[in-house]
Amino acid sequence: MNIASHLDKIDRFEKLRARLDPMEDFELWFWSTMNAGTNAVNAALHHASATKADDVFPTQPGVYLVPGKNGELVSAYHAPGDVLHVGRPKIEGPLPEDVTTMMQAMGVIEHHRDPCIRGEREPTRAIADECDAALRQCLGLLRKRMATPGQAWKP
Amino acid sequence: MEAIDHKQRAERIERSIAKCGGEDHEMKIEGAMLAGTHWVNFILHKLGVTKGEQDVMHSYMLTVNDLRKYCVADREALEALAEIEDIRPAHVRGNVAGGPAAAAHALALLGKIRANALKLVPLA
Repeated sequence: MNIASHLDKIDRFEKLRARLDPMEDFELWFWSTMNAGTNAVNAALHHASATKADDVFPTQPGVYLVPGKNGELVSAYHAPGDVLHVGRPKIEGPLPEDVTTMMQAMGVIEHHRDPCIRGEREPTRAIADECDAALRQCLGLLRKRMATPGQAWKP
Repeated sequence: MEAIDHKQRAERIERSIAKCGGEDHEMKIEGAMLAGTHWVNFILHKLGVTKGEQDVMHSYMLTVNDLRKYCVADREALEALAEIEDIRPAHVRGNVAGGPAAAAHALALLGKIRANALKLVPLA
């Protein structure tokens, strides 16, 4: 997906996170956090030319919804565009250090996904704080990348 | 996870969905998927089709054999969950126009799944 759309989603997820209570609304708060971070990683990967910013949308690793002949969306194999989650699929090749750090920060968030969302681990304030800090780091690095002189992103 | 826990989680997610606004179509769809999955697991556990350690995560990750088996219990709920899941690529991961309408549809599908689940509550 194009970078502007990723940034728009991040902005709206951030606003929603501010309205949700990390404990009372843990599932949706966490899911907004994870989605904001994943969009940030995708935007950074596109900015670094590691993946394509095409408006095609992943259904599973390697398979995307792409525009068909009549404008409808059809499933097709496609070169790496957006990842579904960091590591799905793994993006091959050397990546810029800041993008690697963003992915590691997302690993902190993803680590809590299945136990807390699908499993029986009760979310704690410490887990929420850890996820929040990881997202802050991820978004901070994205903003720095987008504003880097000479490489600054323009819509 | 036991049936009662799925019910409590689904209801908590639905309370959170109610805090979403008109611009939050992605999280309405994701919330419908998360809550709908809990309700489907509630149904399957209540009917004795699956046990707590056999929770469904996504309908598309099931084997064809398991999906057929679970559809015997409640085809309408499984198909509604699959339809919610199919909305996600275009409107959660993607930027296709019509997100708010897609979210409204996802929440209507969630309502169907919840209604089927709550018919089973007297079995508790």
